[in-house]
Amino acid sequence: MNPMLLFQLSWRNLWRRRRRNGLLLAAISFAVAGVVVLNSFIRGLQVQTMQTAVNNMNGHVKVLAPGYLDDPGIAKSFDLAKEWRPDALEGIEAEMVAGWASRVRVPAVVMSERETRGVQLVGIDPAAEAISFIGDMAVEGERLSGPEDRRLLVGRALAGQLETAAGRRIVLITQGADGRNREAGYRIAGLYDTEGEGLEKAFLFTGIANVQNLLDASVITELSVRLTEDRHSPSVLSRMIDALTGLDVLTWQDLEPTAAAMYEFVDLAIAMWFLIVMGALAFGLINTLVTAVMERTRELGMLRAVGMRPRAVVVQVVVESMLIMVLGIVIGLALGMLLYLPMASGIDLSAFAAATEEFGFSALMVPKLEAGDIWLVVSLAIVIGLLASVYPAWRSVKITPLEAMRR
Amino acid sequence: MSDLVVSCEGITRVYADDAVPVHALRGVDFEVRRGEWTSLAGPSGSGKSTLLHVIGGLDRPTNGEVNVDGQRLGGLSESQLSDLRLNKIGFVFQAYNLIPVLTAVENVEFIMQLQGVGAAERQTRARETLTRLGLDDIGDRRPGELSGGQQQRVAVARAVVTEPVLLLADEPSANLDSSTTQDLLELLRNVNEQHGVTIVTATHDPMVMDYAQRRVRLRDGAIEHDESSSGA
Repeated sequence: MNPMLLFQLSWRNLWRRRRRNGLLLAAISFAVAGVVVLNSFIRGLQVQTMQTAVNNMNGHVKVLAPGYLDDPGIAKSFDLAKEWRPDALEGIEAEMVAGWASRVRVPAVVMSERETRGVQLVGIDPAAEAISFIGDMAVEGERLSGPEDRRLLVGRALAGQLETAAGRRIVLITQGADGRNREAGYRIAGLYDTEGEGLEKAFLFTGIANVQNLLDASVITELSVRLTEDRHSPSVLSRMIDALTGLDVLTWQDLEPTAAAMYEFVDLAIAMWFLIVMGALAFGLINTLVTAVMERTRELGMLRAVGMRPRAVVVQVVVESMLIMVLGIVIGLALGMLLYLPMASGIDLSAFAAATEEFGFSALMVPKLEAGDIWLVVSLAIVIGLLASVYPAWRSVKITPLEAMRR
Repeated sequence: MSDLVVSCEGITRVYADDAVPVHALRGVDFEVRRGEWTSLAGPSGSGKSTLLHVIGGLDRPTNGEVNVDGQRLGGLSESQLSDLRLNKIGFVFQAYNLIPVLTAVENVEFIMQLQGVGAAERQTRARETLTRLGLDDIGDRRPGELSGGQQQRVAVARAVVTEPVLLLADEPSANLDSSTTQDLLELLRNVNEQHGVTIVTATHDPMVMDYAQRRVRLRDGAIEHDESSSGA
């Protein structure tokens, strides 16, 4: 049958019931826009969950000595050649790797004149820490100048507990590789701020060589590798496992299983959200289309009486429904983009900082619109449109043209 | 080419939907010759519309054989019946049954579009047919903007524009006043005599019966009287 005729009939039929089709169009548009926008929020949370976990000194892939996670300390350490670099391994391209950082992280006790607290003492090379939150965090006072720096960066919350400030001295006690306690006093270079007080209370930073000297061990306890894209993780992981025998090579998911579970759950949440909204839309659509087709049973019977094949009648009804569906999708996507774009750079949730911190989220909520999610909305809407229209159209040709014309 | 356009043998049609089966046709034998205008008459429930629908492939007989222009309808699928109606039969219905979203000229073009006739030829033929039927000034109006008589004339134009072998008209004058009916019947006579289109009408209307060359009266699903066969 002439496709132009099908299109012409379908298009004009849409204008016969302007109010009903207008409402249907609005329902489809709002559903699509709603799914697109809310989806971008959920996807944004997912990305934030992963980035928080990766930023949290994990990287995408982390190397530890066996047993470190159960008993963290300098006894569970390892050594890598000074010139070791992940992108020198066969199968790992330089463009896959955003950076890497070696650290010494040991439990310690910190004492001020007034208070004592248990912390994690982390020796870092500040230049390498662009891969973690350490590179981004705000510092009041001075930053660490290099791996040899003997001063400390203290979290603002911990400084409050210790009742100390930048420029003051505090004492650290930790256990050396020989099992004996080491004690030394250090000056505070600066106080750092992070989004959660948890990090500020947990970590003390100093130059990596300073910690190695204190512990009398030229080793490291961890190596984090940050990748340019998450999708490189499996191949980099397997290459590093092959290359670093005798060490634990772990992903951020292994190190932060709760965040990983949440990350995985987001895909399920998006699928469920899609099904709920699109399912509701499907029922509305079927109801409207069944009514629309039933109203025109007589007319569709006449089309068959004058020689239109049953299949062409079905196609005509389906084309009609798909026209409204495609229009609804286009308007919905445009509306969704209009809502999304002003928020794309992030929404400031600092008014709810207590709640976001509680759940480990940043106070800046950055929605993320992914092409895959848009395609999912579009394809699901088209499938629903097809299913919802084929049924009433098929019903209309199940009866003879004569029966149809008598209704 | 056979002289017979319609040939029905032993047609019965029983509607068994209700508790009591309804025998709409009871063993009807009926033939229509090429170029003939036959009028089926009879009271309501006599079976004239049922016979018309069976001939047009809109309804299937319970028993018996129907042939239209040499093609046996019994073995045809719904799609094949659609093709037969499209290419060989023109329909005029009591309720006009024009497509409301198309203009008069588009309605006339519609069958040709289904047949795959090219746009230029289609438009020329549709305009010519409307002009021939005195409808050239209403070609761009939609059915809702036309009177009953105009709609029925457009329906006739749609039915004859493809020069079908057979034109079936079911109560074509039922919704028309006598003057409009007269015009319509003149139109059908012209189509029949000038273009040789075979016509079968089912009607109560004596005016329509008078125009037909042959009058077949049905009662209780059987042919009671056939004027031409009785030599009238």
